[in-house]
Amino acid sequence: MVGMTVLIVDDSSVMRKIVERALRQAGLDITRVIEAGSGREGLTALGKDRVNLIVSDINMPVMDGLEFLRQIRSQSLARGVPVVMITTESGEEHVREALAAGARGYIRKPFTPDQVRERVLPLLGSA
Amino acid sequence: MSALSVPVKEVSRFEEYLDHAAAEVFSTMMGVSCAPVNECAGRERETISAVIGLAGAVSGSMVMQSGNLAAMRMAERMTGIAPHSVDAMVRDAMGEVCNMLAGAWKGRDSRMSSGCLLSTPTVVAGNHYELFSQRASVRIERSYRFETMTFTVTIFCDMSS
Repeated sequence: MVGMTVLIVDDSSVMRKIVERALRQAGLDITRVIEAGSGREGLTALGKDRVNLIVSDINMPVMDGLEFLRQIRSQSLARGVPVVMITTESGEEHVREALAAGARGYIRKPFTPDQVRERVLPLLGSA
Repeated sequence: MSALSVPVKEVSRFEEYLDHAAAEVFSTMMGVSCAPVNECAGRERETISAVIGLAGAVSGSMVMQSGNLAAMRMAERMTGIAPHSVDAMVRDAMGEVCNMLAGAWKGRDSRMSSGCLLSTPTVVAGNHYELFSQRASVRIERSYRFETMTFTVTIFCDMSS
């Protein structure tokens, strides 16, 4: 996909920059990055802009990543846009919960650009 | 959910998990090796600590503490940007490193992986403070070296013998 807009949701600005760098190193052609520090900010951003990919943390204040996912679905925002969770939570239960809430991919922190490439690129082909 | 019953003899296993977590986080996110050392080098006057709360199967906290220079170097390795002081980016980076350490540590045990939740990080910086855990019956402390710098990770938690 050429010239993508990506929404990155994480309460850490450092991690948002690292995720952006990993996505670019993974080969994504990114034209624009929208950053959000919480699920609530992410919903606000989705109400204003169209995006091609959403990457979100789970543990965040104000609104966590799982609630953000549920709200995206219940408000019918970003239809058909793949959502990938990037998080320190690695338990099977967390993965199941995220996938059940609508995530299409799950990457555990710490992560490498190769891991991002393996999990994200296939989703864009089917978006 | 009842607290995880971990015999004191299992403390060494938890230390091993922490060693693996530190090696993984520093290698993956900073491209440097990180190995345990017997003790930290002479402590700097100015230090920074990141704290992550643990709740559920294991209750307590993980504290990562380093001198300012080590924290600034970690932030530079992660972001590619060299800070000139312990600014918001450095504090953020320390919080994220501690967050990933905690996640990688608990992820090595299937019961903790799903049964222990992490708080968002809190970061304390300065030259005259001490951190105490009110409830913990066990304290695990490990020191590590990356490049020429050292830092310490302490886990306070409840375990049973």
